[in-house]
Amino acid sequence: MSGARGGRRQNNWDLRAAGNFIGGGTGTGLAVVAAAEAFMGGTFRAALVLGLVLTGAGLGLVWLEIGRPWRAINVFFHPRTSWMTREGIMALLLFPLGILALALGEAWLALAAAVAAVAFLSCQAGILHAARAIPAWRKNELVPLILAAGLAEGTGLALCVPGTEPFVVLLALAAGFAREIAWGVYRGALAEEKRTQAALAAFEERPARLARAAQWASLALLVLAAALSVPALAMAGGALAFLGGAAIKAVLITRAGYKQRVALPAVPVRGGGGRANPASAR
Amino acid sequence: MDAAATRSVPSFCYNCVAGPDLMRVSVENGVATRIEPDVSAAAVHPGLGRVCVKAFGLIQKTYNPHRVLSPMKRTNPRKGRDEDPGFVPISWDEALDAIAERLRDIRARGLLDEAGLPRVAATFGHGGTPQSYMGTFPAFLSAWGQIDYSFGSGQGVKCVHSEHLYGEFWHRAFTVTGDTVNTRYLISCGNNAEVSGGVCAVRRHADARLRGIKRVQVEPHLSPTGACSAEWVPIRPKTDAAFLLSLVHVLLHEVARERLDLVFLRDRTASPYLVGPDGYYLREPASGKPLVFDTVHGRAVPHDTPGAVPALEGDFVVAHAATHGPDGEVTPWREAKARTAFAVMADTLKGYSPEWVGAICDISPATIRRVANEYLDNACVGETVVVDGETLPFRPVAVTLGKTVNNGWGAYECCWARTMLAVLVGALEVPGGTLGTTIRLNKPHENRLKSVTPGEDGFMAAHFNATKSGDWAARPTGRNAHRSLVPIVGNSPWAQALGPTHLAWMFATDAPKEWPEPPAPEIWFAFRTNPAISFWDTKRIVATMARMKFIVAFAYTMDETNHMADILLPDATDLESTQLIRVGGTKYVEQHWDHQGFALRAPAVEPQGEARDFTWIATELARRAGLIERYNAALNRGAAGAPLAGDGFDFSLPVDRAHDTETIWDAVCKAASTALSGGAQTHDLAWFREHGHYVVPFRREDWYLTPTMARLGLRYELPYQERLLRVGHELGRRLHEQNIHWWDEQLAEYMPIPVWHDVPQRWERAVRAAGADPAEYPLWGITTKTMAYTTGNNAGIPLMAEVGRNNRGLGSVVMNADTARGLGIVEGDWVEVRSTAGVTRGRAALVQGCRPDTVVIPGQFEHWKTPVAKDLAWPSLNTIVPLSLDLTDATGSGADVVRVAVAKCAAPREHAA
Amino acid sequence: MTRYAMVADLRRCVGCQTCTAACKEGNATPPGVQWRRVLDIERGTYPDVQRVFLPIGCQHCDEPPCLEVCPTTATRKRADGIVTIDESLCIGCSYCIMACPYEARALTGAEAYAFGDRPIASEAARGTRPEGVATKCDFCAARIDAGVARGLVPGRDAEATPLCANACISGALSFGDRDDPEGPIARLLAENRWFRLHEEEGTGPGFYYLWDREGAP
Repeated sequence: MSGARGGRRQNNWDLRAAGNFIGGGTGTGLAVVAAAEAFMGGTFRAALVLGLVLTGAGLGLVWLEIGRPWRAINVFFHPRTSWMTREGIMALLLFPLGILALALGEAWLALAAAVAAVAFLSCQAGILHAARAIPAWRKNELVPLILAAGLAEGTGLALCVPGTEPFVVLLALAAGFAREIAWGVYRGALAEEKRTQAALAAFEERPARLARAAQWASLALLVLAAALSVPALAMAGGALAFLGGAAIKAVLITRAGYKQRVALPAVPVRGGGGRANPASAR
Repeated sequence: MDAAATRSVPSFCYNCVAGPDLMRVSVENGVATRIEPDVSAAAVHPGLGRVCVKAFGLIQKTYNPHRVLSPMKRTNPRKGRDEDPGFVPISWDEALDAIAERLRDIRARGLLDEAGLPRVAATFGHGGTPQSYMGTFPAFLSAWGQIDYSFGSGQGVKCVHSEHLYGEFWHRAFTVTGDTVNTRYLISCGNNAEVSGGVCAVRRHADARLRGIKRVQVEPHLSPTGACSAEWVPIRPKTDAAFLLSLVHVLLHEVARERLDLVFLRDRTASPYLVGPDGYYLREPASGKPLVFDTVHGRAVPHDTPGAVPALEGDFVVAHAATHGPDGEVTPWREAKARTAFAVMADTLKGYSPEWVGAICDISPATIRRVANEYLDNACVGETVVVDGETLPFRPVAVTLGKTVNNGWGAYECCWARTMLAVLVGALEVPGGTLGTTIRLNKPHENRLKSVTPGEDGFMAAHFNATKSGDWAARPTGRNAHRSLVPIVGNSPWAQALGPTHLAWMFATDAPKEWPEPPAPEIWFAFRTNPAISFWDTKRIVATMARMKFIVAFAYTMDETNHMADILLPDATDLESTQLIRVGGTKYVEQHWDHQGFALRAPAVEPQGEARDFTWIATELARRAGLIERYNAALNRGAAGAPLAGDGFDFSLPVDRAHDTETIWDAVCKAASTALSGGAQTHDLAWFREHGHYVVPFRREDWYLTPTMARLGLRYELPYQERLLRVGHELGRRLHEQNIHWWDEQLAEYMPIPVWHDVPQRWERAVRAAGADPAEYPLWGITTKTMAYTTGNNAGIPLMAEVGRNNRGLGSVVMNADTARGLGIVEGDWVEVRSTAGVTRGRAALVQGCRPDTVVIPGQFEHWKTPVAKDLAWPSLNTIVPLSLDLTDATGSGADVVRVAVAKCAAPREHAA
Repeated sequence: MTRYAMVADLRRCVGCQTCTAACKEGNATPPGVQWRRVLDIERGTYPDVQRVFLPIGCQHCDEPPCLEVCPTTATRKRADGIVTIDESLCIGCSYCIMACPYEARALTGAEAYAFGDRPIASEAARGTRPEGVATKCDFCAARIDAGVARGLVPGRDAEATPLCANACISGALSFGDRDDPEGPIARLLAENRWFRLHEEEGTGPGFYYLWDREGAP
């Protein structure tokens, strides 16, 4: 803005906000992995620690993005309707439960933390869904995608953590397929509406195409890993599942967040003769 | 905020000629913070006391940190764009003494130089607006004497030039408008009322739209005015004359004659005048009066014969007559074949069918025919209306013309056809019709009706420059040769600045060999003007400017013109200075009020820095130059806007001493209010400071000229242009006697009935003349105005850029999206627009509302010195339009049109990211 | 009940941005932040093109999506329909900006002034808006309240009317109490055809756009 210099007018969320959705989704997936591992009698601490760290990091990124970070406490003021307040409350549940689970090593606490994490992720989906200005976010079909994607990214990343239980490959595979289905449904919904064409176009661009290719490759690798029980394949597949998912979210938040344009129901009738009467002369 | 510390100061905005509009300035603790409408003026101001977007920039204008706030002098004698002027601050005494010393020296040697040209020149900005910000400087100019005003800053180009000249000639219409409050059907050829018509026009047209006016906007791109019209007709650039002539054709050849206003044509125009075999009026030999054919007695009689009922059409034979040709040559005729002027017109335009013209204009013939018929259907021929108790014709149809339509080749034809469209249905200067607004070439400026006096041949008096042998100005008296080349402009104080003002710049370096080399002026005053940006071929203008010997610039900030100055004088700006201005009545553009009077601009805040009120500067210059008595005498005569003495009052200032600013304006306020009220009320400066304005009722009937014409028994000098034919012959002889042939093309424009010639082709020829292939420049480049900037001298105000850019295209190259696609250009791409004269760059703004063969570059930018503006990196058509004699018409006007090529280009370095 | 509303007559609006400038100056919004502005919209393809000027800004909805999402309760709705932002509560999360279907909100950036880093006298006199919070049109609520307290009628008396409507040169913008049957808003809505933006969202905007006479063919 060379004429009106210095002005800044924020109109979109940037990568920091995307980081919250990536961290929150992946963290939730990891918390679920941890709970599953706990109930299967395995070690769950690594997954849970990583899940909490990522979720916390995501929130930290948001904290960096907001205009008045030192007033962040105000975020809790509006639970009645605001998904952002609810997200904050769920975070307040998730972290104590997670830390307790880590401290006490109780499976039921890990499960409780996973439930809180899923609730937290649901709030994140709610945040996007309630953003009425952005047609690509307010789609009902985005909510299952956000949930499935969180699980796919979290389980994927879990596979990269040494010591992860082998059955997690199956979880990752299931989550990956769920994400594929949710993605297909979401894409279909975007394609149906004129207002979401710009968002659709954002998903056709190279970064999104690469991310999607990574997701497909991850599925292939995970199938192979499950069939052949090769940990390296599982790790590679998991990494791609996470990276592909994170990239798509970055595109979703920062590139597909097109505001809905004004739609004119009618155009003004600017004169036109036929019923003209002089105003003053007679 | 302490309410007691907040004041609301009445003022006015006259940043464009479409004002003045009344406003108030909020001042908090001595700081101007806001502009507000003047609600108290809502009852008298047609715009309800509101001001347009430009006025809101005046706060930033006042506190602009880039202002020049003390007098400065140049220390680097070399001038040029790339030279650092080395300005250093000096005292007012030093600055004024330096100027006064030169003035006194010039006076001692004589006001004119060896070539007979004024040694002092002055240039002011658009449309006379500077006069309302320069305090009593007009009195200083008057006290000085001969001054060359011919170095234009865009006059003839950025105004509606041909309309000024022909409009004022035909119906005292320096600017022309529809009677918008009554009109039902308005054909607007490029007239951009919604952008440059000012607050009053915007309001009047909005009201008219709601009551159902049909406005047909004929222009190559969809301007805001086009947007707000009922219909957009995207015409090929510079073919408006053909379109308008075809409308005239339809009225003359495709509808029943009795649907025209035959009585108006017969009685109020020269339609019945008999034209002889040589193209001049047949006249009664003894009296020299033009003849008409009296249908009562069946013979030719003088036009003013009582009881005669002249024939409008027909072929006649006149037994004894004479024609008056050029240079007083009288040709006697016996049994002369005669035809009425009307019949000559009808014959001349026989071939202008919508089918023929449609191909020229790229408009469907059906559209042309329909528009003509809708115009006629709405004309209400025969109807009347009562205005102020008088029964007047009611003709609610009008035709308006915009810039570029009204400039350069083809403009004469447009003006004539537009006026004839009004004349044919009796819609000229009557309620609902096509009206003039104000006058500038005739006097008195404040009342155009009073300027109508009987002249020759039953017409009102016209004041052309002499073209007869011996009387003609054989040597230019100003550097643009307006008296020698443009008879119709006359020689009133405004005439010079309406002459071919680009010729002054062109001749400065490339003078015709037949005339003496014009020496540069010894002092050039510049105020509220920036020809280095606002004229064409800006590189050449800048180079020419650098040759000026001594430039005194009244400087607001640094800019491209005062970069060349020798002395900078900081004047108090809009919110800091005092001026009384005439408001109301009928003024430029569409200022049609039911009141008239005066409004005061008084300082809302103290001037910033060392800036001084212009009146103080003018007085000091006069005093130091030894002109104080002449200066005061000029003030007493009315140079500050009102004569200081009149019937029953005398507020004259003693002439022998300098008066302070308050004393001067106090006298002007008292004199103006006393004269306005017929002596009933006298309001001093303090009263005006409190109340802002003083008005009295203005008769609605006085919006219209035709009642005055009828009272005086005068005819409009239409349709036949015998006078122009004669003047053209004479001018040709004079020039040819000097062996001057470079004006021959222009001489061809002196046509008694205008005919179409291939106007657009002139621009292609210009490309060829520049040594290029027209095929390489396949598009038309045109420009358009934006309300935030037009005539505002405000390119350095950030608020204007911010809000102006909400509208598509500002700061960009606007082009048709399909054309762009063909060139591989997408929205926001950097593109270069190239002509034979240069190249300008900007971002592409792709639209559907633009002809595929046309690109539009709004505004005038490409500043390289003006703070803020120079960072905009916006393109400018001025950079690429050549200064060209070939593209100058007979009135000395040229158009903002150029053949261009557009291509993608790299971003400028500072915008590469 | 009082329900304040704005009417924009699209037949009148010429896109001059006088309202934009008056609002910016009157509300001392920083460069780049426009509570009121006029969109310049093109419809159709050459040569059948229409260009519409659409004054826009906060629509003061009955059910404001911004209010729903705001986590801090900084955004509130008054009984008279005006949607406000308590700048002392706002954390600048921008969620409301993502929620407003009318692009009416902006987050103020670091202090910025018309001519750069330093305020000019008029900017210094007006003070600056808090940094890092969401801002938007509040129908000049303080002006309305001050006017009403003095017995003035918003929409009729300039001193109790939003600056944009006061400044509008074409007469496009009208303001007033929609529920006053004698007021200008009720009359304009009764006499003309109108629409509201994104009616399908169920937001119930308090901003009406006139486009033709009622009963026109």
